[in-house]
Formats: sequence, structure tokens, C-alpha cells
Amino acid sequence: MWQKTKPYLLLLPAIGTIVLLFFGGLFDGLLKSLGYFPAIGETRFEVTAYTDLFRSSEFWESLVLTGRVAALSSVIAAVLGAVIAVSLFMLNESAKSGGAQLWHRLFQLPLTIPHLVGGYIVVLLFMQSGFLSKILASAGLIDEIRDFPVLVNDPFGWGIILTYAWKEAPFVSLMIYPVLSRIHRSWRDVARIFGAGSWNFIREIVLPVMVPAWTIATFIVFVFTFSAFEVPFLLGVTYPSMLPVFSYQLYTSGTLADRPEALAVNIILAALTILLGLVVYYFSKRWNVLKGWD
Amino acid sequence: MSDLRIINIEKQYPQTQQKSEPAFSLQPVRLTIKQGEFFSLLGPSGCGKTTLLKLVAGLLPADNGEIWVGDDNLTAVAPEDRRFAMVFQQSLLFPHMTVEDNVAFGLKMQKISKKQRLADAHGMLEHVGLGGYGSRFPDELSGGQQQRVALARALVANPRVLLMDEPFSALDPSLREEMRELLSRIQKEFRVTVLFVTHDREEAFYLSDRIGVMSEGTLLQVGKAKKLYEQPVSAKVALFLGLKNIIKGTVADGRFSSSDQNFEFLVEDTIQTGPCLLILRPEALQPVTKAAALHPDSIQVSGVIQQMRFNHGFYSVKVKVGSNKLDCSIASQQAEEMVPGQKIDLLVKLKDIWLIVE
Amino acid sequence: MKKPRRLLNSILFLLLFIVIGLPFVPLVLSSVSFGWQWPNVLPESFSFRVWEYVLAGSSGTWSAVGVSLLIAFIVTAVNILLAVPAANALVRYSLRGKWLIEAIVFAPIIIPPFVAVMGIHLTFLRLGLTETIFGVVLAHISPTLPYMVRAIMISYNTLSVDWENQARMLGAGPISRFAHVVLPHLLPGIAAGASLSVLISLSQYLITFIIGSGQVVTLPILLFPFISGGDPAVASAYSLLYAGIAIMALVGMDIALKKYYQNKKIATGKG
Repeated sequence: MWQKTKPYLLLLPAIGTIVLLFFGGLFDGLLKSLGYFPAIGETRFEVTAYTDLFRSSEFWESLVLTGRVAALSSVIAAVLGAVIAVSLFMLNESAKSGGAQLWHRLFQLPLTIPHLVGGYIVVLLFMQSGFLSKILASAGLIDEIRDFPVLVNDPFGWGIILTYAWKEAPFVSLMIYPVLSRIHRSWRDVARIFGAGSWNFIREIVLPVMVPAWTIATFIVFVFTFSAFEVPFLLGVTYPSMLPVFSYQLYTSGTLADRPEALAVNIILAALTILLGLVVYYFSKRWNVLKGWD
Repeated sequence: MSDLRIINIEKQYPQTQQKSEPAFSLQPVRLTIKQGEFFSLLGPSGCGKTTLLKLVAGLLPADNGEIWVGDDNLTAVAPEDRRFAMVFQQSLLFPHMTVEDNVAFGLKMQKISKKQRLADAHGMLEHVGLGGYGSRFPDELSGGQQQRVALARALVANPRVLLMDEPFSALDPSLREEMRELLSRIQKEFRVTVLFVTHDREEAFYLSDRIGVMSEGTLLQVGKAKKLYEQPVSAKVALFLGLKNIIKGTVADGRFSSSDQNFEFLVEDTIQTGPCLLILRPEALQPVTKAAALHPDSIQVSGVIQQMRFNHGFYSVKVKVGSNKLDCSIASQQAEEMVPGQKIDLLVKLKDIWLIVE
Repeated sequence: MKKPRRLLNSILFLLLFIVIGLPFVPLVLSSVSFGWQWPNVLPESFSFRVWEYVLAGSSGTWSAVGVSLLIAFIVTAVNILLAVPAANALVRYSLRGKWLIEAIVFAPIIIPPFVAVMGIHLTFLRLGLTETIFGVVLAHISPTLPYMVRAIMISYNTLSVDWENQARMLGAGPISRFAHVVLPHLLPGIAAGASLSVLISLSQYLITFIIGSGQVVTLPILLFPFISGGDPAVASAYSLLYAGIAIMALVGMDIALKKYYQNKKIATGKG
């Protein structure tokens, strides 16, 4: 009996905590988004919050913006991350020292920088009177502050995209690198015997090997960017805002009556991330990408 | 006397969810291992010998049966309180402890003072020939040295029984022989009771006072090496001990005759009438020389040499006799005159013949 | 062989500069600037006034650092206690509905935690948990716990039951087995999980803000008004301090762990 129940008892504290604090919160939010709120005398279920949302153009614009920002951030992070990982890999191949290890560590630095700080770095670099603008002006390439494009607090979301591309590129390289290190040193010799140069080696062997992990890493960045709050809050504009910010605006600025709508946005956001998460999970299982993790 | 007694110990594994894997069960085992005896369980992998060992250790709960040492019933005693020791296939030295801390671990668990346990550990390391290695870490040692440390760790606390689960199978052959000698010497020196599990019959023969042959969850036969080899109780035991010359036949009217009629001889009355297996040890089959011709207590068959292989010090010769192919071990001198395809007459003394009633 | 290596090295250096070096240049310059007009690439004059302000006793920096670290460490300690048994069960036992259990444990990695926090906000308000450090700690557990479980599971995966059986056969009871065999093996995993847990807890802004209602002042709460339109010099100094503390927490954990093993080695080497 003890043997049978033991693992469940071991799991109980952790599961209990998450169910209570996390799923409890989700459920609480779901009920309130449906207008069920006994504390203010609302005990009926209604879907007005959702229908109102679906009718408002604000919500759809927010959703489109969120999707676009997430897609662009993850693609740029993916390219940058792959360049870093492949360069490190090639360095490791041609050198015997542990130098690549140090390089690898250095490149992970942005991962440890808090998001708010990352966002602020982008502000200082890319705002119209920012560091890059100053450099361009000193070099005589632009004459006025206005000549520098609006990249921070812009309606398109460039500032957010740049921040996430910068912060998540190391993550992508961190995901790809272990896969690359499985490529055996002798493969390169074999490739060379058959007449493949460095570039051909990358194209024919390195890229195909890393594609599954690469795709998954990009997807994970996408899901993460999709639901992140801090950076869009700092670098976005009030309208249109990304979904998490939109929800926050509804939650704090409006009246109590707006809260169900805010929570409805949250529930939709959660549902979308679960869906995306399942897609990632399905493909990673299928391609065996997370093998090292299990 | 504190003999290890295994009384009808039994274990059923429930059918796993994957239907392809059949349920495994260990049939009741009854066995007494005398104090100071070296007992080996010999069998192919998956035969249940490791299961039996873990049941004795208490690492697996038994469904039925009891384990006794002397007058103590240990069936319900937790493994850590049985005062047994165990050496596993891998050395399983704790990587974060030095060699001497590893060896002293069991004594530490018995709350023996640090000074005393380190002294004991040093002494035991000397015994296994690793005197100066105490302050090293396990990863600085070779595989053989690690296994010596594991042996020292097992012996230092003076266990009532030492259980060993194929401890040398991960080592390379020359090292394995060296470890065999070391273990044999140390076992005799400390007079420790050993229950040893292996699938290597040479190892079992070299080390053991007695051997138990296991197959498919059943203990088939227990006895001294010579007895098992010369008088196996079943074809399974014979096959596992490397006796491949098994000839089918029947016993009727005090005579054995093989199904291809090539072997016919009188047997003692004590042997039951009915289907029977004739076991011929390869070294019992010898070519007929003029001097030994027609010995009264022997039988003679003729066949054709099919294959010859040199095998340290003698030749393994495959001879086709009727429908059977027989393995014979023939001394080099005699074998050098033979060639495959040649006819040969073979002689077996009746006292070297062993019959198994089916 | 030499030539492509040099090329590769220069590509990497360029990347390193763009990705790691360049972003910090304006941050550092801005924090020590005293007036920095466009289009000057360097500030007109330098001064440490904002560092003096930030690091001086009256600005509330140190209490914010203290609160941040206190929350991060409590959260991490709770996570370790919850995660070790859970990881043990997930790795070592065959469980019914394992996929469901794993889905529950790892859900907060995928679903943004502020969704749950906004949902539970009013309940916390009624229970009097808002505006308290305890409430913020509770809010920080769900985004961090999954990473801790994951990290410890990886450690458990490489710990064969044979080790514990070996310790058992040498007479070690359950507590000794855990202390002498299991814990030392799990320690690197626990340290990795703790680093992640501390890092994630330190970088939470929104959920701290919602539950703490501005009364629990952690570093990001203190920082935010400055970076969203305050004095850029102060904002830069705070940003550097904040990033520095996050990195130090990680490096410190790493060093502590290495030191632990080194001490062990020295102690045993002498004895």
C-alpha cells in the first residue's frame, strides 16, 4: 500500500502548490471573466466580456501586433542564434582548446540580463536621440534627430523586436549547440574527402542536423514573446498594445466592470499559449529534440 | 553455526502493461549455504539469479519464504540492518568521497569512531593491494582498482554474508582472472560466506565450493563443480555447462539405444525404462588406438571428421556419427595426424557415460 | 587551417562586440554622464553623482536589493523543498497519468504567470496577502518551481538506484542514504535550479507589482519609473546595478558550489 501511494505523496506538495496558486488563479480568472463574482453580487455566468472583446477592433489590432512582434523577434533571434552557434561550433572543430567554452559563456550573458534592463539598453541605443543616432550624426550620415527612424515606442513594435532578438538569440544558440556538438569530428574529415569545403559542410551536414532543434527553439521564443509583459510595457505604445499590456491596461485603468474583459483577454492568451505549447511539444517529441532534457 | 538459509523464497512479477513482455516469476528456492562457503549461482542472463540475490539482500520484498542466518530470521529486517555486504556489477564507489571514505562508509554507518574506521579502511586497502590509494578519488582509479576498492568496502565491516552480483563482468579478461585469484585468496583468509552470481561458468568453477545452476526462474541443480559437470540432472544444465553432445534414445530391456541406432549398450537395472538422453563429455570421447582396442567396459562408434579447431593445448574435433555431431577434445599429438573428411573410430568408457531419464 | 580560423575568430569578435559589448556602452556612459547632448558620441562631462545617489543610504536602493534577494531566496528555498520529492517521484516511479502530472507541473513555463496572478489577485486581497512579502513570495513560486523540478529531475536521471542499494548494503538508513548519497549527487542540479529560480524571481515586475501593490519595493519596482521616462543617468545606474546583482547571484552560486567540492577535496586530502 505504502509502495503504491508513496510517489503520489512525494508529488503532493509540489502539485498542491501549483494547483492552488497557479491553476486556482487561472480558474478564478476564468470565473470572473465569465462575470461570476459573488463578492460584488454577480453570480450569473455570461459571455458578454468575450463577445465585447471579439467585437472591438482594439482587441484584434492587439492580437495582430502581438503575433507580428512575436514572429519577427523569434525569426531574428533564430538567425542570430544560429550564426553564433555555428561559429562557435566551427571554432571548436578547428581548435582543440577549451576556448569555445569561454566564448559560449560570454555569449550567454544577455540571458542573465533582466528583461527591463534589456529593454532599457534598447532605449538608449535606438531612440531617436540615442547612441546609434549620435554615432551616425557624428559621422555626418544624419543631420537632425528626426532623420533617425522611430524605433522605440513605435506603433510597429521595433523596439520590442530588437530587445527580444537580442535577449533570445543566446537562448537559441544554447538550444542548438548541444545538437551540433553531437556531430562527430570525423564527419568533417569524411566530408572533406568527398570534396566538401567549409561552406558545403555547413550546408549539407550542420544545417540539416540542427534544423529540428532550431525550429523548436524558435517556436519557444515565439510563445514566450507572445505572452511577455515587461518589455512591451516599456517599449510599446499605448495603442495598439500587445495582448498582455492590453489586458493590464483594462485591468488597472478601467472600472471594476472592465475587469472581466481584462481577465477574458488573459484566458484567451492562456488558451493560445497552451495551443502553441502543444504544437511545440508535439514536434519536439516527434523529432526527439528534447531527448537530452528527459 | 551461522549458515545462510533460504527457505522457499519466491517472487512473482506482475504482468507488465506491455503484453510482449511475459510475466517473470522466481520459483520457490530452498538452499542452505554453510558458513564460510563460497556458493555461486550460475545461469544465463534473465534466469532470476540477480532477483534471488536481491531477495536475499532484502532489496526486493519476497512474496513468500524466509531468510535466516544462524538463529536470526532476517525476512522482515531492512537491508541496511542485515549486516550483509554486496558488490555490484559496477563498482558504485561514491564519486564525491575519497577511496578511504568509501571503504569506511559502512563503518561510519555503524557509528565507529573516525580514527578506528580509517585505520580499518587502510588495513583492508592493503589487503586488496591498494595501500597508497586511500586519499585518491574513485575517478582517478582504473576499473580493476575500483572493483578492488568495492571489494574492500564490502569486507571491511566484517559482513555475515557477502553478496556479489557479477562483479567482474565489466572488466577485461586478464583483469578478471587477476580479480578471481584475489577474491579466492581473500575469501579463504577471512572465511566469509559468499553468495556469488555469474553467467561465466569458468569463473564459477574456479571460485566456488558449490554451484547452483539456474534457468528461467528455477534452481535446477546444486552441487560441486565436478558433480554438476559429470552428472547433470537435465539437458538444460548440461547445455549450460557446455556439454553439447546430447544424444536422444530409449532404454528398454536393460539396454540403451540411440534413435539412430549408433549407440547401443547395456545399462544398470536402476535406470528406468523409457526415453532417455545420453550425455558424452567431449574429453571422454577418444580415438581408438591399437592398444586400447576393444576394452571390455567401453563402446565404440565410427564417424567422419567434419571440422578441427585448435583450442589451447588440444583440438576440438567435430565428428559426425550417424545423425549426431559430436564434439571431442583430442590431444594435439593425436590430432595432428587427422584431417577433416577422414573416418575415425571413437571410444567411450562406460564409466564416463551419463544418462538422463526424460 | 590557420586562415579560416582567423576569419572565424574575427567574425566571432565582431558578433561579440555587437551582441555583448556595444549594448552596454551607452548604459555605462550614461550612468557617469553629466549632461549628454545629441549629437555628441561621448558625454560632455563625467560625474559619479548618480552613483552616489543610487548607492547612498537615502535612495532606498539597499532596502530594495534586500527585499529582492530575500524574496528570491525564500522562493528558492521553498522550491527546493517542494521539488526534490516531486522530481524523485517523477523520475523513479511509474505513475498513473504521468503526462497529466507533468503537464500540471510544467504548465507555468508555457502559460504566462501573470494570467494566474491577475486571476487570484482579488482572492489574495481578501485574504490580506497583498502588499506583503509573503504574498509576493507565493506569487513567485509558480513561475519558478517548474524550472527547479526540471533541473533536479535531470540530476535524478543520472542517479541509479544501485547507489542507494549499495549504501543500504553498507548499513545506511534512509536519512544517511539521503544525506551521504542522494544529496551530494543532486547538488549540482539543485544549484542549477536555484540559479534559475533566483534569476526568474529577480526579474519579475508585473506580478510583484500586482500583488505587492507598490508597497513591496523590489529592484524592478524601484527601477521602472526611472527607465520609463525618468533621469536617464539614474536609470542607467540602476539598470547596471540590477543586471550586476542578477549576474552576481548566478556567479556566486557557481562559486559556492565549486568551493564546496574544493573544500571537500582539501579536507579529505589532509585527513
